[in-house]
Amino acid sequence: MTPGTITAQITDYANRADPYPLYAELRKTPVRREDDGTYVVSTYEEVRSLANDPRLSNDTRNRPPGHARPGQPAEETGLPPSFIFTDPPVHDRLRDTINRPFGPPHSPRFLDGLRGELAKVVTELLDAFEGKDQVDIVEDFSYPLPVTAICKVLGVPREDEPRFHVWADALASSLDPQSGGGDESQEKAQRARQDMGAYLTDLIETKRRHPGPGILSALAPDMTPADLEATAVLLLVAGHETTVNAITNTTLTLLRHPDVLQRFLQDPGLAVPLIEEVLRYEPPVQFVPWTTALADIDVAGTTIPKGSPVWLMLAAANRDPQRFADPDRFDPDRKDNEHLGFYTGIHYCFGAPLARIELHVAVPELFRRVTFSQLLEDPPPYRANAVLRGPRHLPVAIEGLTA
Amino acid sequence: MRLVVDLNRCQGFAQCVFLAPDVFSLHGDEALLFSPRFDEAQRDRVEKAAAACPVQAILVDYSDEPTLRVEPDVG
Repeated sequence: MTPGTITAQITDYANRADPYPLYAELRKTPVRREDDGTYVVSTYEEVRSLANDPRLSNDTRNRPPGHARPGQPAEETGLPPSFIFTDPPVHDRLRDTINRPFGPPHSPRFLDGLRGELAKVVTELLDAFEGKDQVDIVEDFSYPLPVTAICKVLGVPREDEPRFHVWADALASSLDPQSGGGDESQEKAQRARQDMGAYLTDLIETKRRHPGPGILSALAPDMTPADLEATAVLLLVAGHETTVNAITNTTLTLLRHPDVLQRFLQDPGLAVPLIEEVLRYEPPVQFVPWTTALADIDVAGTTIPKGSPVWLMLAAANRDPQRFADPDRFDPDRKDNEHLGFYTGIHYCFGAPLARIELHVAVPELFRRVTFSQLLEDPPPYRANAVLRGPRHLPVAIEGLTA
Repeated sequence: MRLVVDLNRCQGFAQCVFLAPDVFSLHGDEALLFSPRFDEAQRDRVEKAAAACPVQAILVDYSDEPTLRVEPDVG
């Protein structure tokens, strides 16, 4: 990747706070070939059709030598790729199995049943704002909730949760095409994965003998320990930073749009369309850089040759003026908001319903209880990661806390 | 309060079932079942379900709202 290429610009930290002008530039060539043979797809119809195309693979072992293969665990871990990095029929078998204790048709009320516990966590986090005139929305609010949520889904005992916070951090940074190529972050991720692996092996064994709440207990009889471990790691990585970003992005976007914020304060029901609009406007997963063409694919007048790495630019597609009128406007009244914030097709975000439940629990309560005065840094400092893009900190001044 | 699901659009993402399990259900892996009439207690959940639909196939109709105080029917 030479400097000046589009993929280099996308991952360039200088574009992190506002990547949208770059995405607008990108959409002028809906399917764009990079010098290294990577194809970058940025318009709504094209992204959507490729995401539904069985000739596009999520198994990066299909890439020719010389290209990054995100999602492939190092051989010494002995772990299989998690289901997001597999194709049918392996993908469907794994996802169906994991879905059994998690969602419909077998367990439609599992996540719904976590609402109360998650609401309690939100209350505790907000209670701790008492007496402060400044908070960091990331550290003090968005960050702790998703790990707790995933631990409850998996059935991790509460006292072990702090260790998951550390592992989640190390693993998330390894998904980034930029820092993911760096040895240091890969090593850190590898170590986290080993430590978490050792912990999970024990936990899975315990759950096998003494079943408790959570999906690990339910899945232990049906899955190999290696598949189960790979799944637990995936759910933590994919469900942690993304949800942190979704909660933070919602807060940031509302504070940047005082007119919408005023309406929201008077009508808490606005939370529902507003959250969907944030998922379009500032999606927590900006793009999917791990797909590969399994055959020559004709799209928008270009042929993507077999074996090419393909990047699907969800955040660019979400701002495509051919699909969304006035796309750079944050508009919670938008009708027909078929955004790609959770992707689409068979790899549609497995944790989307959990993320929505967390957002529905967290956002209205945050704004009901906290009187905000202003953003203290705008734009806030962002994390390095270009894929899972979001603020590292969101310092805000607050005026008061309602019980 | 009534709802309609455009079953030609529905692709079985099942987001509605997660968010309003008393109103929507999955029969097998793909077939969606739903109660076309729902009461005030379900309103919030149905709104969340409709907003979350990845293909925007759920239409909610409040045109019968003034009568909602005389419902719900079963008890």
